[in-house]
Amino acid sequence: MLDEKKPRETIETEIPLGTVHPAALEPYRVRLFVEDEIVQEAEITIGVNHRGIERIMEGLPVEKANALTEKVCGICSNAHIWNSVRTAELGLGIEIPERASYIRIIMGELERLHSHFLYLGHGCEVLAHETFSMRAFYLRESIMDLLFMIGGNRVQYGCSIIGGVRPRCELTDERIRTLREKLDAVEKGAADFADRVTSDTVFISRIEGVGVIPQKQALKLEVTGPTLRATGVPKDFRTIMPDYEPFDFNVITQQDGDVKANLMMRVLEIFESIKIIRQALDNLPKGPVVDRSWEMVDCDTVHSYIEVPRGTLYHSYALEDGRIRGSIIRTPSMSNIGAMQYACIGDHVTDAQLCIVQCDPCFTCTDRAVEIIRR
Amino acid sequence: MGIKSFSRKRAIHIMLVYTGGCNGCDIEIVNAVLSPKYDIEQYNVFLTWNPREADILVVTGPVTRFNEDPLIKIYESIPDPKLVVAAGACAVMGGVYKNIHGDIPSEEIMGPVDNVIPVDAKIPGCAVRPKDILSGVVASLPVLLDK
Repeated sequence: MLDEKKPRETIETEIPLGTVHPAALEPYRVRLFVEDEIVQEAEITIGVNHRGIERIMEGLPVEKANALTEKVCGICSNAHIWNSVRTAELGLGIEIPERASYIRIIMGELERLHSHFLYLGHGCEVLAHETFSMRAFYLRESIMDLLFMIGGNRVQYGCSIIGGVRPRCELTDERIRTLREKLDAVEKGAADFADRVTSDTVFISRIEGVGVIPQKQALKLEVTGPTLRATGVPKDFRTIMPDYEPFDFNVITQQDGDVKANLMMRVLEIFESIKIIRQALDNLPKGPVVDRSWEMVDCDTVHSYIEVPRGTLYHSYALEDGRIRGSIIRTPSMSNIGAMQYACIGDHVTDAQLCIVQCDPCFTCTDRAVEIIRR
Repeated sequence: MGIKSFSRKRAIHIMLVYTGGCNGCDIEIVNAVLSPKYDIEQYNVFLTWNPREADILVVTGPVTRFNEDPLIKIYESIPDPKLVVAAGACAVMGGVYKNIHGDIPSEEIMGPVDNVIPVDAKIPGCAVRPKDILSGVVASLPVLLDK
């Protein structure tokens, strides 16, 4: 029994994790301020992976710089090259062939599929549910095979080039047939996975109500992507992108903003992505995939946003003699860091890793801030 | 065969250190070891995150400035005999970050891994394919067992 008269003696402890730590795959530093095993405050520090990509992009020819932006991230590499190419196309006023736009969307959605399966696999592994993790990774392999078939590499497929897509990524009839067959299998597998996850009461009780991010807080922290949609805000950049105009898809939302909502969010988005790919394959226009009749002109800073698996990605640069000037890249994990810190608060210290993972962090792409120290 | 290599033959432990690449190689290696399709664990090779337990150190990424000291620290805390495998174009030769630049080269890259710690085996590729990791690690096993 607690003595009412005596104030309870609490010891605030700091638990630092990182930068290289077994619990985290990527190097980052998190400081957890713990009181009675409940996290009171969390602080995530990044900067270990800083490679200075924007600085080395300065002055590169635009085609070379596009290839370099792909190396910003190993998970959403297509998204980066797509947005970088899109920036150049917006600046130079290039209209790409319709077929190229469709192939880009197919690649983008395939990438969303593999990223979401990776999220599910990694999330289940953090939850110590090996079986679900294995199932998610196994489903992911068939998507990787499709990406390998179209792009010729498993990770950096370099699909988009200025004026269209690489001729290597042309969708022949045989490839379309394989795509359809594999997507059917993946959809069946994903439905089975969703069934198993939702019917496992132990698993659901483990993730329900953990790491809650309220809607108001999410909007305040400028959270993007599925993490924001899991709090009930139907904000998806695909709905206002002209590239996605011909497609009919739903914006999935969940209400609670906890780990369960985030997990279900990704599972349901997988089905939407498969729907978009099917529509693209059904209505794939005929014609060339690349239009090389563009001319290089100088242009002022152009801004481009697209929706990537983790949220809204921003690229901007100006062109001068075909060279990049003043490049800025903002990745979705940058704005989600606030959500990760907030989600840890009020939960048990053992759930901290889960709370961070639920926001789908990719600190590697995020590490690009340059701190200027005035001396 | 000594008692160490006799026991090691049944359980080789890989430790993956990630030094600032693009995440691609990292995920492919974890995928190759853990996922059901490639499953390096069937060759008695296991993934560990504890340097004291590890036999093989797999390094990915072009060692960034902040990762140099932790990498050396991890390398030193692995007990002998040990093997270092550099996986991916960045770890082998610095990758795009070291070799491509515009007006100013990046000052953040201390790699390739050769410059920081001695490397025994190199697996090329951007990103490394699981089959290459499989063959690279399995091919380096006799070297480790003979040490």
